[in-house]
Amino acid sequence: MKLLEYEAKHVLAESSIPVPKGAVVGDNTKVDLPLVLKSQVPTGGRGKAGGILVIESQTELQPGIDKLFTLEIKGFTPKTILAEEKLSIKKELYLSILVDRQSSSIKIIAHKNGGVEVEENTDFKSWNANDTADVLGQQLAEYYELSEQTFALQDLIQNLKTCFVKNDATLIEINPLILTTDDQLIAGDCKMTLDDVAAFRHDWTFEEKPAEANFVTIDPKGNTATIANGAGLAMATVDAAYEAGLTPANFLDIGGGANEVTLLKAFNRIVEYKNLQAIIINIFAGITRADEVAKAIVSAKKQIKNLPPLFIRLAGTNYEAASEILTKEHIVIMPNLESCLLAAKEVIHE
Amino acid sequence: MSNIFEGKNVIVQGITGAHGSFQTKAMLAAGTNIIAGTTPGKAGQKVEGVTVYDSIKDIQATNRVDITVIFVPAPYAKGAILEAITAQVPLIVCITEGIPVHDMLAINEKLKTSHSTLLGPNSPGALLPGVNKLGIIPATMSLKGSAAIVSRSGTLTYETMAGLTDKDIGQKYVIGIGGDVIHGVGYKECLELFEQDSDVEQIVLIGEIGGRDEIDAATYIKEHITKPVFAYIAGHHAPVGVQLGHAGAILGSDQESAGNKTSILAESGAKTASSITELIASVSSARR
Repeated sequence: MKLLEYEAKHVLAESSIPVPKGAVVGDNTKVDLPLVLKSQVPTGGRGKAGGILVIESQTELQPGIDKLFTLEIKGFTPKTILAEEKLSIKKELYLSILVDRQSSSIKIIAHKNGGVEVEENTDFKSWNANDTADVLGQQLAEYYELSEQTFALQDLIQNLKTCFVKNDATLIEINPLILTTDDQLIAGDCKMTLDDVAAFRHDWTFEEKPAEANFVTIDPKGNTATIANGAGLAMATVDAAYEAGLTPANFLDIGGGANEVTLLKAFNRIVEYKNLQAIIINIFAGITRADEVAKAIVSAKKQIKNLPPLFIRLAGTNYEAASEILTKEHIVIMPNLESCLLAAKEVIHE
Repeated sequence: MSNIFEGKNVIVQGITGAHGSFQTKAMLAAGTNIIAGTTPGKAGQKVEGVTVYDSIKDIQATNRVDITVIFVPAPYAKGAILEAITAQVPLIVCITEGIPVHDMLAINEKLKTSHSTLLGPNSPGALLPGVNKLGIIPATMSLKGSAAIVSRSGTLTYETMAGLTDKDIGQKYVIGIGGDVIHGVGYKECLELFEQDSDVEQIVLIGEIGGRDEIDAATYIKEHITKPVFAYIAGHHAPVGVQLGHAGAILGSDQESAGNKTSILAESGAKTASSITELIASVSSARR
């Protein structure tokens, strides 16, 4: 789950990491002028799109707020606007902490030149976060050429590491990390990703909902929908559909233990694709039971009007029961995915 | 990694749960020697005739434990894995899906200095047809033989295994390393095992988008593997930056794409396929 800036900064502040004084609009907290208004959209490139406004006088404030609430950025309009004190900047740095999958460890990454152009840099410096905050802070101060900030950076790293682990974060990116003209280090902006599966041990009430990793639209104009179980099989089904000359609209992994209810939901989402002419169902039942899938197919056929033709391949756990259920309703199970794709190709006309 | 997969004495952690008990039955049916199970607080119960203990330590008081298969729910899985590491169980197979990354980081630290090898989590386990079924890979669709499969995806593993069985190509090993970002045994360890085992004649590697595991596997194949390798990478049409089911299946850069991984594997000498059907056909035709 990716947090919005104001949510991420709230999490940072809870771990004693300095953030600008600020409040979300409508929250009755006074922010002194001059201030900065920042659109809280779940996408990057906000500054270039006009989503950040500097407000110098009271008369500019309301029009600025109104403008940001209606400004669409890459398809998103904000539900929240953040108002913050305008910092006086001496230097912009880059600092992040993340889970590095290749080394199975936590890494701290830094660059001397932070800010919006940071991705153009290639010479990032990285450290294993296992080292003590004292050592890391000192090395960071040396690298940033800010030896007078050594203590502040040691504190920052200690708090950042604690914040990262305590909140089940997989990424905290502070960019820019601002050194103000009065020599304070403050998190100017922050991207934070939390581990969705750790939700059971947190009381998360953030604006963004966890992403639905199991249902992904690939091409909303696609002519073929896919339903499969298991991430790998679902990906392979999409690949095979492309290979066969179809245009898959979606990726759907119904997961282990899917039942009639969850499957019907999936059918209802799929039929919303406008150009849909065929549905490929590719199930290799392991923990999932083929007869549950069969029941869902029968219900979908009865309940959903104008359901495009289904091309079904079923195998695995409880196949016999599934076959019986479908045969009774005169629904055909095809021997393999290839025959499904060939048959689907027959019914599709551009 | 010597033949820890052939260990005789197998236990099931989380044996009284819905998945634990259902899969214990299937493992017993496949001939796995399950000597005991654990669920804290349920000592003395029986599941499919298998005695339940409170802890691994209690089982070890009278028996050697070679392998544990874990079905414990995600919030308690870290504790279960750490218990198995402390008990020095040689092979830990973790089926559980949805273990937080930070729990896995802590477990990995412990594993470095331990006597245990971890397969998983979020893995279907390992199947050695006729020898051991350690997890949820359906044994009824397998056939004993000389192919070896290693994969990050559960269902694709089943699909490939069943496809090979259909063509009368048996398997010595079917191993799912799991779809999570942080996991135990990887491709490299499995490839090493397959290369060393003289029973194995053909190696099948199945990967997906995201991460660099398959790229590292390609380097290993080039340098160390003399047996024929057949490979398929799923997710050729994955959108960038979107997670596809598995926590680890997210396309971060072009390097992590199915296309790039496929060409690097091809350069390393593997025979690559663009679908599972093609993969099975190519294994089969190499046999003739």
